[in-house]
Amino acid sequence: MTGDNGPMTALRAPFTTLALRQAVFCVVGVVSAAAVLAVPALVPALGVLILWATGAMSREPVPAVAPLFLVLFPLTVALLVVLAAPTGRAMGTVHRRLADRLLDVHVDAPPPRSSKQVGALVADGPGWRAVGYGLLKVPLAIPQGYGVFCYVFGPVNLSYPLWWPLFRNHPPGTQLGPVWALTPFGPLGARTFAGTFLIAAAGLAMLLAAPWLMRAGTAADVAAMRRLLGPRRLAERVRELQVSRARAIDDAATMMRRLERDLHDGAQIRLATLAMNLGMATEKLGTDGAPPDLAQARELVTLAHRGAKDALADLRDLVRGIHPPVLDNGLGDALATLATSSAVPVAVTVELPDRPAPAIETIAYFCAAELLANAAKHSRATRVGLGVMRSGERLTLTVTDDGAGGANPDGPGLTGLARRIAVVDGLMRVHSPAGGPTRVEIELPTHV
Amino acid sequence: MRVVIAEDAAMMREGLARLLTDRGFQVCAAVADADTLRSAVAAFVPDVAVVDIRMPPTHTDEGLRAAIDIRRDHPGVGVLVFSQYVETRYATRLLADRPTGVGYLLKDRVADVADFVDALTRVASGGTALDPEVVGHLMRAGRDRAGLTSLTPREREVLSLMAEGRSNAGIAAALVITPGVVEKHVANIFAKLGLPSSDGDNRRVLAVLRHVSG
Repeated sequence: MTGDNGPMTALRAPFTTLALRQAVFCVVGVVSAAAVLAVPALVPALGVLILWATGAMSREPVPAVAPLFLVLFPLTVALLVVLAAPTGRAMGTVHRRLADRLLDVHVDAPPPRSSKQVGALVADGPGWRAVGYGLLKVPLAIPQGYGVFCYVFGPVNLSYPLWWPLFRNHPPGTQLGPVWALTPFGPLGARTFAGTFLIAAAGLAMLLAAPWLMRAGTAADVAAMRRLLGPRRLAERVRELQVSRARAIDDAATMMRRLERDLHDGAQIRLATLAMNLGMATEKLGTDGAPPDLAQARELVTLAHRGAKDALADLRDLVRGIHPPVLDNGLGDALATLATSSAVPVAVTVELPDRPAPAIETIAYFCAAELLANAAKHSRATRVGLGVMRSGERLTLTVTDDGAGGANPDGPGLTGLARRIAVVDGLMRVHSPAGGPTRVEIELPTHV
Repeated sequence: MRVVIAEDAAMMREGLARLLTDRGFQVCAAVADADTLRSAVAAFVPDVAVVDIRMPPTHTDEGLRAAIDIRRDHPGVGVLVFSQYVETRYATRLLADRPTGVGYLLKDRVADVADFVDALTRVASGGTALDPEVVGHLMRAGRDRAGLTSLTPREREVLSLMAEGRSNAGIAAALVITPGVVEKHVANIFAKLGLPSSDGDNRRVLAVLRHVSG
């Protein structure tokens, strides 16, 4: 539908549903621009409202103006700084949905805010880009406004010759003022029936021009949307990846250190002691002939035997901590095994048509292990639900419990999990009001 | 012979105490951290202290630092540092001032009870006991510079045992040769490396270590 197909397309353009949908989009655009422009007027408006409500306006001179505005002004600036990004996000969401519905233009959602803290509200890159989009709405509203105006008043002006005979059937000689019509170039007056055809011609021109004006307005709007409302820009993504890479390296180093500590203080010391006990036992048994001290040798061998079993148990725990062997059979088996070792009864539902990448399975498993341990330790829950669902290229791990709630998403345990899953662009949502119940959702890509 | 043990793993500590008591040592104290070790050594002034390197609170090298303090404050007390791994740097720090009454062994060595007790006795009476692992590291590091390539394999073996702190008799027993043959090897080694010949095991160890570690 690009006008290159001939004059017929251009003539038909105003009567397509696309034109109607563009018109709706443009109207919303103009309203949004007006709202954006109204924001700076909030302080004086609020001040005047308070002065009026308290009756201070009626006194001469108005005594409370300066102090009131001294309070209101910084307050409003602070509110603007804190609320701008979330408001921008909300407005951006509305516009993305509108573009999707009305213009068939799909803009991907920006990544969600990292947390609910005030700091994250302010340091929210995508939110501020949405604010930028809001400010751009003001110049964008000019072609959009003109387009809608032409689209609405074009047919109105076009119809003037029809209305003239109905309302201007006065007896000849009656003195009447001209009939006014609105055009983009100012009002146009007609005193005679012939004059209405001039208005009608202007209306036709407006009607034909309207789709192009609206199209220009929406095209510019969509371009702005793609740049400002979509997923973050490359530079931001690179920064994010740098952060998550640094975390991954840190975590790997921490893990190696912990592993060394566990081996050093566990299996290694047990084996050294075992070797020592066996060394002593060997001496007690002597090199040949009758053992010099059989009773002690027996006791030492028993000690060594127990030491060997303890060392094995230590190593088994350690190995399971590195990579649970049952995970090789898939996440379903691994989570079922995990559930059986939980102190609180766990209902497991795993719906996976095929297996995710091994790294994702491992992350999901350790997240589930950590969340189950949390539920058992802190929540006083009597039942825990553990679910894995797959939708498209995403896998969602859900852990729910009927416990006391109040899990802190910014505590060390959950932030540790959040760090781990951020490495693979995963997301975590924690819903845990005081009094419960708790629901933690972890969304992971199925492939890295 | 009186001994103080410092080891944070209870299992190992008790095992060591048992082993040493069994071998006729008098275990004055068996402690689990470096500060208690310092006060135990000050209180009992034992013949030798057995010190684990990694102990609470930081689990890094507090044992080593305590060992160096003990060697400075109580020159008469032998110190046998033992650990699950050996670091050449730790050995050189430990031997920095004088290679007498000092030992540095892998924990694994307690499995050979006789050798371990022998090393501990040597340290207690002012001798040296360096783990073959440490000596091996030093020898490999100093191989080219120290002219060790000119030694025969047998001479290198004798040199290693010397560096571990063993006496001629000990070397002879370890290699199953006569003390006379050992003496001949030692003389050859000193001549090839250009070291002044010295009598007395300790000065000999010092000379050898200084030579290989540069």
